[in-house]
Amino acid sequence: MSEQLLRVSGLSAGTEDNPILHDIDISVAAGETHVLMGPNGAGKSTLGHVIMGDPVYKVSSGRIEFAGQDLTDEGADKRSLAGIFLSYQAPVEVPGVPLYSFLRTITQKRPELKMTAKEFRKRVGEIADELDLSQSFLTRELNVGFSGGEKKKIEMLQLLLLRPKLAILDETDSGLDVDALSVVSRGIEAYRRTCDGALLMITHNTRILEKLTVDRTHVMVKGRLVAEGPASLIDDIDAHGFERFEREAEARGDAE
Amino acid sequence: MADDNATLGAAVADEPRKVTLSHVNTPPAETWNYLRANDITLTVPAISRKGDVYFALPQLFGRIECGMGDKVTEWVTSQAADATYVEVPRNTVRTEPVVVDVDADAGQVADTGVMIREGAEATVVVVAHGGGSEAATSAALTRIVCEKRTRLHLFEVLALPDAETHLESVGIVADDDATIEVRQYLLGGATQAVGLAADLAGDRARINLQTRYLGRGTDVLDINHVVRQRGENSRAHVDESGVLADAAHKSLRATIDLVHGAKGAKGDEAETVLVTGDDVVNKTMPVILCDEDDVQGNHGATIGSIGGEQLQYLRDRGLSEEEANDLFVRALFDDAVISSPTASARRAVLDRAAAVLGQEVALDLAEGLELECADTEGEA
Repeated sequence: MSEQLLRVSGLSAGTEDNPILHDIDISVAAGETHVLMGPNGAGKSTLGHVIMGDPVYKVSSGRIEFAGQDLTDEGADKRSLAGIFLSYQAPVEVPGVPLYSFLRTITQKRPELKMTAKEFRKRVGEIADELDLSQSFLTRELNVGFSGGEKKKIEMLQLLLLRPKLAILDETDSGLDVDALSVVSRGIEAYRRTCDGALLMITHNTRILEKLTVDRTHVMVKGRLVAEGPASLIDDIDAHGFERFEREAEARGDAE
Repeated sequence: MADDNATLGAAVADEPRKVTLSHVNTPPAETWNYLRANDITLTVPAISRKGDVYFALPQLFGRIECGMGDKVTEWVTSQAADATYVEVPRNTVRTEPVVVDVDADAGQVADTGVMIREGAEATVVVVAHGGGSEAATSAALTRIVCEKRTRLHLFEVLALPDAETHLESVGIVADDDATIEVRQYLLGGATQAVGLAADLAGDRARINLQTRYLGRGTDVLDINHVVRQRGENSRAHVDESGVLADAAHKSLRATIDLVHGAKGAKGDEAETVLVTGDDVVNKTMPVILCDEDDVQGNHGATIGSIGGEQLQYLRDRGLSEEEANDLFVRALFDDAVISSPTASARRAVLDRAAAVLGQEVALDLAEGLELECADTEGEA
């Protein structure tokens, strides 16, 4: 059995006055691809942000362990440097910071990625080419005025540059046209191929999963993980939707 | 004297007598005096030029409104050893930038007039730089006439050591369909006093003014931007942003004056300032003056720390809050190097980066942006 990379156990979390996640248990081993599916508003993105350490959410119980370390009380920057990467559903615009400055700074924070500025430029250029991204983006302000597809490509650029141990991709496919989806899928494949990193794909759309070998599928309804299974569970959901999971949750009286 | 040389001469002030210039950088419409935001008073050296043969710019330049006001214009013309006049012939593109190089350590004062004839395009670069530790005062007065259908790219960088003072006054007049792009980088100095006045006299004339600034230690930044929109359907976009650290003191006055008759004119101004120091003094005075019904004017200012979502995004990539603040400072220098149209401007930015961010970061910046530097060399 592969070494456990991420182990979330008994996790309950939410905002100040609104519990969202209830008693979540999920484990992802190094190099595995997991898919987290569920209807809108199930709490999938919240789980991604809680694992990343977003202070908007408070953990009321449970633990988040990563690579053998308990990160439950650590800040997002520490978790990032430990090897967790969260790709945003709606990447944030940061006026005043050229993309080049941002990428160089976050790379320099990681001793394992130490490289000269020339090597860095070369590496970024290679990744940009792979993602059909013009290098002129490097001199533009981070995500400012970028289209939805361009923003997602910038997320993939960071993913391939930082080579995290675990990438949580939060609805990376949302709002993408066919061409952009193809490029982003290529980025995810490249991450799997070149970094051998683990993936936790948050989605309710199965198209982006077509080219991935999925190890486990999890279904979340109303903040609870209600089902877990092999890749074939995705086909089942594709054919029948989430209705049965929602019905079962209702029968159990799961909280909103 | 018409000077086609790329680098223009400047005078060296060598006598210690001082004069006080009051009511400098005054906006067209003032606010309550008790706010102490209406102007700045500067004490500057005054050397005697008695007996010097002084070449004056054509009278036309004397009528141009300059951002820092008449007193600074008079002082500069009294201190500069000479004025330099450059004319760009009609329907030509001047590929070699007009460079005004000011050695701040030597207290140089430059007085420059540029005439861009109809249909021509030119780049003007003003670089004030130094590396000394002594207090010195330098200045650049740059007046530019843009005839019809011209394109002007004005790039200004103030990269002064911590003890030095610089006065940077600009006046621009734009005729029909003239397009003006201005980038100002104010990267340090004990006092950086900067004024720019643009008169969009012609129909459809437009200006895009971007100012980036850094104030740290006990730096004083005093900025006055005035855009007069007289021409019909003229356009003004004024965008200032910067970082204030430690006990820096900044005053910014930004005025868009929509003059009677400027039908269809649109002007907007916005400032974003990141305050990281506990003892920072930050004053912003955005003003839209309007004497015409058929116009649009907007202004806004965002002041404070990095936005919550932005900070979280940066933390998610491994940066602490302090490192995120530092990123904004580094980004300012990166942007200045990327945008620098000449090697001398880049060198000045990198020298200043070495002083502010450290030699290692400056070298990394220089090496990493080598491609952009090579690409833009000689393009201006």
